[in-house]
Amino acid sequence: MGLDRRSFVALVAGGVVGSLATPVVWKTLDDISIWSQNWPWIPRLRYGEESLVPSLCKLGEGAYGVQVKLVAGHPVAAYGNPEHPLSLGGICPLGAASVQLLYSPARVKNPKKRVNGAFVDISWDEAEALLAEQLKAAGAEVALVSGDDTGTAAEVLAGLVAALGSQESYFMPSEGAAAAAAVGLLGGDGLVGYDVEGANFLLLLGADALGSSGTMLRNAKAVAAGREQGVRVVAVGPVLTATAAVADAWVPCKPGTEGMVAMALASLIVESRPDGKVPGLADFRKQVAAFAPDKVAAATGVPVETLRSLAKELLSASKPLVVPGTAAGQGMAVSDAAAALAVNVLLDRVNVPGGVMLLPWGPKVVAAAPDQKTMLARDVLGYLAKVAAGTTSAPKVLLVHGANPAYALPDLKTAQAALAKAGFVVALSSFMDETAAMAHLILPDSLTYERYDDAYTPYGSGQANYTVAAPILKQPLFATKAAADVALSVAARLGKELGFASFEEVLKAKAEALGADFETAATGSVWLGSEFVPQKLSLAKVPAPGAPHGSETTVVAVAQPKIGSTKIATPPFGTNGISPRELQGKDMVVAMNKTTAAKLGVRAGDAVTLSGAGGECRARVRVFEGVVDGAVMAPMGLGHTAWDAFSRGKGANVFQILSAQADVGGASRFATSPVGVRKA
Amino acid sequence: MANSKSSVVLPFLVGVVASLVLGWWAFPKVLYSQKTQPIRFDHVVHVEGQAMTCDQCHVFRENGSFAGLPTTAACADCHSDVQGEDPDEQKFVTEYVQKGKEVEWLVYQYQPDNVYFSHIAHKNLECTSCHLDVAKMSTPPVYYQNRISGYSKNTMKMWECERCHAQSGASNACFVCHK
Repeated sequence: MGLDRRSFVALVAGGVVGSLATPVVWKTLDDISIWSQNWPWIPRLRYGEESLVPSLCKLGEGAYGVQVKLVAGHPVAAYGNPEHPLSLGGICPLGAASVQLLYSPARVKNPKKRVNGAFVDISWDEAEALLAEQLKAAGAEVALVSGDDTGTAAEVLAGLVAALGSQESYFMPSEGAAAAAAVGLLGGDGLVGYDVEGANFLLLLGADALGSSGTMLRNAKAVAAGREQGVRVVAVGPVLTATAAVADAWVPCKPGTEGMVAMALASLIVESRPDGKVPGLADFRKQVAAFAPDKVAAATGVPVETLRSLAKELLSASKPLVVPGTAAGQGMAVSDAAAALAVNVLLDRVNVPGGVMLLPWGPKVVAAAPDQKTMLARDVLGYLAKVAAGTTSAPKVLLVHGANPAYALPDLKTAQAALAKAGFVVALSSFMDETAAMAHLILPDSLTYERYDDAYTPYGSGQANYTVAAPILKQPLFATKAAADVALSVAARLGKELGFASFEEVLKAKAEALGADFETAATGSVWLGSEFVPQKLSLAKVPAPGAPHGSETTVVAVAQPKIGSTKIATPPFGTNGISPRELQGKDMVVAMNKTTAAKLGVRAGDAVTLSGAGGECRARVRVFEGVVDGAVMAPMGLGHTAWDAFSRGKGANVFQILSAQADVGGASRFATSPVGVRKA
Repeated sequence: MANSKSSVVLPFLVGVVASLVLGWWAFPKVLYSQKTQPIRFDHVVHVEGQAMTCDQCHVFRENGSFAGLPTTAACADCHSDVQGEDPDEQKFVTEYVQKGKEVEWLVYQYQPDNVYFSHIAHKNLECTSCHLDVAKMSTPPVYYQNRISGYSKNTMKMWECERCHAQSGASNACFVCHK
């Protein structure tokens, strides 16, 4: 019997009908649909042993302990560390994104050198050889700008620079430096901290103490705990910061006049205590005479009654504490800090429970390096301004470590001009930030979770503390290297031995110098110091604080870790936290009150051009009554030109319009600046 | 006419039978590849020989999450050195314990990442309600892997979860399993 066409069709039809009663069609369709879950580009979760490992977050302006959750040895999330005195379980938005940042598209994954305007990947051996060659040729004409003012890595790098014969090592500006300088003006010496937990009346003169300033996580915990004990918090400042919003009272004052408010309070306190026995009081009486409440009220916008009421509260509280600062978390005037410190001195609130704590400087272990006090006192703004102006020779090699001076300095064009004048810019950066983008050589620094790191007594700590973070990952994710190890290696190539073979050894020496056990510290146990530097503070030379800018409008820069810091641009996680109150489309949003808007002839939603001494930027107007007359509140952290798609090209960089104003002792203030506003 | 009918019916029936045989017998053999575990883990030796209970190795963590299979480090609590003469134990110690490597065990009930299965919520069920009864096996069963989807043949399908939930009165809302 042959298989004719008719039979064949019947066979096939039978096969099709039969197959419908089998799993072939249905199972295949089902499996194909499920197969789409396993396409190779779809990320897969890792499963395995879970653990929490202590580490450090130094992505913002301070440093605090975190706990990193590992699954099968891989970091997946970061939490606050309840055991760390500066976290107490809290975490900032940058810390929360710290694991994500390990995988940031902006990470520099291997050393790069600039060839004909473009970056070319090179090996670490070639990179270190190139740096050694450039340093050798530069001789003593080398400089360092570091953003790591709590870590020992900066000490190693400064040690290399000093070993080459240069003293041009600087930290980026910080509130801690201004506060320490203020202590110096009063004849004291030490790092500045605040025993926030011990105070029962907290007067914040500009400081966004719960949002961006000092040990903000710890401060927030202390304030929250204090609520139940009846602790009162009053925030003085030109804008309703995150802190002012939750304080018991917000006392609006004109931008940059917090120091004057402090002097008026000092004047009222002096008046109420005619028999005071504070050193230098006689001279101080003369100084505060110029800050009578009625005069200050007119200059600052704070009513006389409010000043009297605040002075009364300070005098009646058993443990009052005055904390200076700015909404920007930097750019504080030394004179303002000195005025606030003077009030604390008048109230006998120095080195007492609930008071200002003057803490010992961190020990130096790299013999060639300048000590912490010297480094913190140096003025990077002044140095760069002189380089830009040509009054100081530009460094032949400029090392930039953990900092982004091409983005985060006032008078930005001046800073950028100074960087452009440097012969050879070396960015020791983990990310392709604005400074790395203009560098000649990028030596990518490993992130904290990939290397050793440490932090000694960040600004605002209530007592001296030292935290060591051991590497969490066995190997860095990419071909990166700890900047301090690079410095040690290059120093060895140049025959300028710094006395240590590795950064780990340096940290062991640091721990030993403090009397801490390194092994214990490296497993998350924080060393706490109990010593306070004996002080003989005098009010004889308290300088007059800065006066209002005198301009019709003043920009008030506000730092918010959710947007970023001076070191880190908005991480992917952060983009969800930026609201239309900060960014609309590609425009930064600035806030002003109804009166200011009317005076400027603008309405909510209008596009405006802000012009400062250093340049201009575009923004949109938001009308908000949490801003005093004449002030324009602008969010910091926007307007990046490098980094990645999560931060680049979004809004404007406030540093473009911030300008440094001269303050006492050659220092400068820049948290607020005169600004012009016109419709775009 | 009769010839005409038989020339259609017979091939049709042959086609039906052939496809049924192929579909029910040959297709599963082709669809699944067969794999064996990297180490022949003998549950019987541990359960009966050492009187160990399931939860000595398959533990709940403090936060209630399920650790699943023990890590090499956990096994090394007892097997830091070779204890017997089983070549697979020797291989485990030399290849994994001494090298600090994790064994890439094949998980019979592996669920995709988009399924959140909480073991602690199901702790009152017998393990064997869902898992193969490996505690009685000296040699782990063959692992059948679907060549198309990549999943284990034993991976529980969503309808099975839903059926049990419906029967036990548990919610079948999407978010119960898909976060």
